Amino acid sequence: MSTIDPRLPGAQRTRLAAAGARSVTASLTDGRGRDKVTGQIFYALLLLAIAFALAGLCAIVVQAFVKGSPALSLSLFTDAPSSSAERAGFRPALMGTLYLILGVIVLVVPLGIGAAVYLEEYADKTRWWNRLVELNIQNLAGVPSIIYGILGLAFIVRGPLDLGFILAAGSLTLGLLVLPTVILAAREAIRAVPPSIREGSLALGATQWQTIRRQVLPASIPGIITGVILAISRAIGETAPLLLVGAATFVTFDPTFLGSDGYSALPVQIFNYATRPQDEFRVLASAGVIVMLVVLLAMNAFAVWLRNRYEQQW
Amino acid sequence: MTDPDVRADHDAIEEAVTPGANGLSQRIVAEQHAERQAGADKVFEIEDVAVAYSGQPAVKNVSFPIYKHDITALIGPSGCGKSTLLRCLNRMNDLIPGAAVSGSLRYHGQDLYGPKVDPVQVRKLVGMVFQKPNPFPKSIFDNIAFGPRVLGMKGDMDEIVERALRRGALWDEVKDRLKENAFGMSGGQQQRLCIARALAIEPDTILMDEPCSALDPISTHKIEDLMLELKQDYSIVIVTHNMQQAARISDRTAFFTVDVDEGERHRTGRVVEYDSTDKIFQNPADPRTEAYVTGKVG
Amino acid sequence: MAGTGDSEQLRGRFREELADLEALALGGLDLACAQLRRVLQALEHQDVSLASDVVAGDDALDDLYRELHERIIALLALQAPVAGDLRLAASLLHVIRSVERMGDQCVNIAKLIPLDGHHPPTHPVLLEELGVMGKLVCGEIEQSKRAFASRDLDLARDLIHQDRDVNELNRRVFQFAWESGDDPDGREWAMHMILAARAVERMGDLAVDVGEQLGFVMTGQFEEFRDASHPSPSDAAPSV
Repeated sequence: MSTIDPRLPGAQRTRLAAAGARSVTASLTDGRGRDKVTGQIFYALLLLAIAFALAGLCAIVVQAFVKGSPALSLSLFTDAPSSSAERAGFRPALMGTLYLILGVIVLVVPLGIGAAVYLEEYADKTRWWNRLVELNIQNLAGVPSIIYGILGLAFIVRGPLDLGFILAAGSLTLGLLVLPTVILAAREAIRAVPPSIREGSLALGATQWQTIRRQVLPASIPGIITGVILAISRAIGETAPLLLVGAATFVTFDPTFLGSDGYSALPVQIFNYATRPQDEFRVLASAGVIVMLVVLLAMNAFAVWLRNRYEQQW
Repeated sequence: MTDPDVRADHDAIEEAVTPGANGLSQRIVAEQHAERQAGADKVFEIEDVAVAYSGQPAVKNVSFPIYKHDITALIGPSGCGKSTLLRCLNRMNDLIPGAAVSGSLRYHGQDLYGPKVDPVQVRKLVGMVFQKPNPFPKSIFDNIAFGPRVLGMKGDMDEIVERALRRGALWDEVKDRLKENAFGMSGGQQQRLCIARALAIEPDTILMDEPCSALDPISTHKIEDLMLELKQDYSIVIVTHNMQQAARISDRTAFFTVDVDEGERHRTGRVVEYDSTDKIFQNPADPRTEAYVTGKVG
Repeated sequence: MAGTGDSEQLRGRFREELADLEALALGGLDLACAQLRRVLQALEHQDVSLASDVVAGDDALDDLYRELHERIIALLALQAPVAGDLRLAASLLHVIRSVERMGDQCVNIAKLIPLDGHHPPTHPVLLEELGVMGKLVCGEIEQSKRAFASRDLDLARDLIHQDRDVNELNRRVFQFAWESGDDPDGREWAMHMILAARAVERMGDLAVDVGEQLGFVMTGQFEEFRDASHPSPSDAAPSV
């Protein structure tokens, strides 16, 4: 703080001194008024956005509950579909969804982890073909699911694989649909393992494979599982591709993987009930929606719990 | 003629003057002997070694020997290639795509980069401790046991782990909590764990890349004392930014500098002076060394 | 001395070296005392061979000085001591200088003993005074060593009392020699006694210097141990 030039006349010095004192004290109390208001407006807008999203979600859930709760009973899980609403249920559809998901897991987990490990640990990222593969995978994750349905129809049900309209074909199709998501999630989990762990392992004389198997993968398993669960919860809800690869809407018996008698899935069955003219079936459809929502919520909650429990603080 | 008191004085002086007897000169003689001993055995012979990353030279014209049971310090400003050179000694530079090492690097007489040499084997014999402690997200026991397990070392794992922790001056502090996660330890303990982990695979040389730069002064001194103990059984090469540390513990010091290309496009490091630490810090031969150790030049 | 979690045990090598240097420096004081006793013995008995032993023995003190100087500088360069350690290291540089000078004083005395076997007349009183001075100064040296080693500042300050006695004796020797008579041989010998007494008195001062260094080590201040009420007169000035 420089002193005021003593050669100035007294009155001027007094004025300068007062101004200096004011600027010092003022800076403590002066809010940056405009910036504060902008901050508050921004905050309000954020709250509004959240409110919209929540409102939309709540509307769907509340409507489903209101409409479907009368039909909620155990018979939903044990009865097959029938033209009579009282005796109709979701059993084959539930079984179908379950089998489909099992098939997806069997397909997607090894392929997804393997691809992620290759991309993160072995691929030379400066090579153009590896960059191309990465780009492709990221794109595939965003492709509309109906395209996968067409793919399944053309290449799996008919075409080279020619499996016909069997449940396995449905699993394969759904698997391809969620594979990119799993690969991306697994890659993120593997990337989250810091390079210092790999370096430390290699510096002790471990080979690359030993490092992956004993350090990287164990540390990234929680992240990978979370990704798999989220992918599955997406797969459960996919209806359009299943319609194309043979999920039928009126199946009264339990499905099998390779049986060519047909199979169904929960979203498909809900779709079927919802489009029937009788009101009772619409109530059933809503009940089905409730069931689906509960399953999805449970799965996501489990994924979140898993992630929190095993999250590594690096 | 001379009374007994004077006789005693006489003996005292005689003793002090005679070299080789108990007293001062004995110490000097012993030190010279140790010097010659150290000079006999070289762990590394580095001749005209250069390292380039994707064509850009990072360090070149490096030539000096590293002696057994020495603590050799590599000092110099940032970017002068000391860590790069260190990573050549256990072939960790292999992991960096685009890294090219030229020149001759011999380890106990064998070419370290020979065609039949397995880098994994090299890393068993030449261990490394990194700047930021990097324990694995496992228990203390599993951290130490990891190396021996992947290398298939025979023997009772409990014994191997205890031996390594004792040598790393950590046993007393952790013997009751071997199954606890390594992340629960303080920074200084974690670094000593990393040292014990490196010792568990029975190397003969330990490389340390600024091992104390992330630690508080007490932990730093504990690790320095540990290094002074370890040097009886191992050879140690340490890269350090802390000149006082190099002065305190090393036997020999190599001073690196950076050559900046005209147009400032890239920086290449090389060794200016390599001598006993005494000489480097009391009377360095090169004015650049003097400028650096006295802190006049960064 | 690896860390066992006890912060008292750190930097073992540095502590050992510093303790070693202190022990060696203080050990030099013993050597100086031994030289003094020998040279006074030689003076008393005109023992020429003992005198040349004393001169040869000074090599030990010079070697000690050189080695300790080297090691203290190395300690400063390599271990960067601060606070008490730094004060100790700096004071040891002074101490070893004092020790080396004590040795030089003994050599000066030794050189006074004639080599040609000529036995000049001696005065028993002068020799006795000189002997007493020697004992007092040896006592001073030993006390300075004890004070330094045990960090006893009061003991160090006490040194000026004996030093005053030594100064007094020095003056008396001067006076005696002044009044020693007309015989030229006797006078020459008496002159040499003055020089010898001067040398012994200097050694006493050097012992006090060691005590003053202790003051610096312990307080960080340099305090001259001079009693203000009794300023020490110039040693060479006769008081008739």
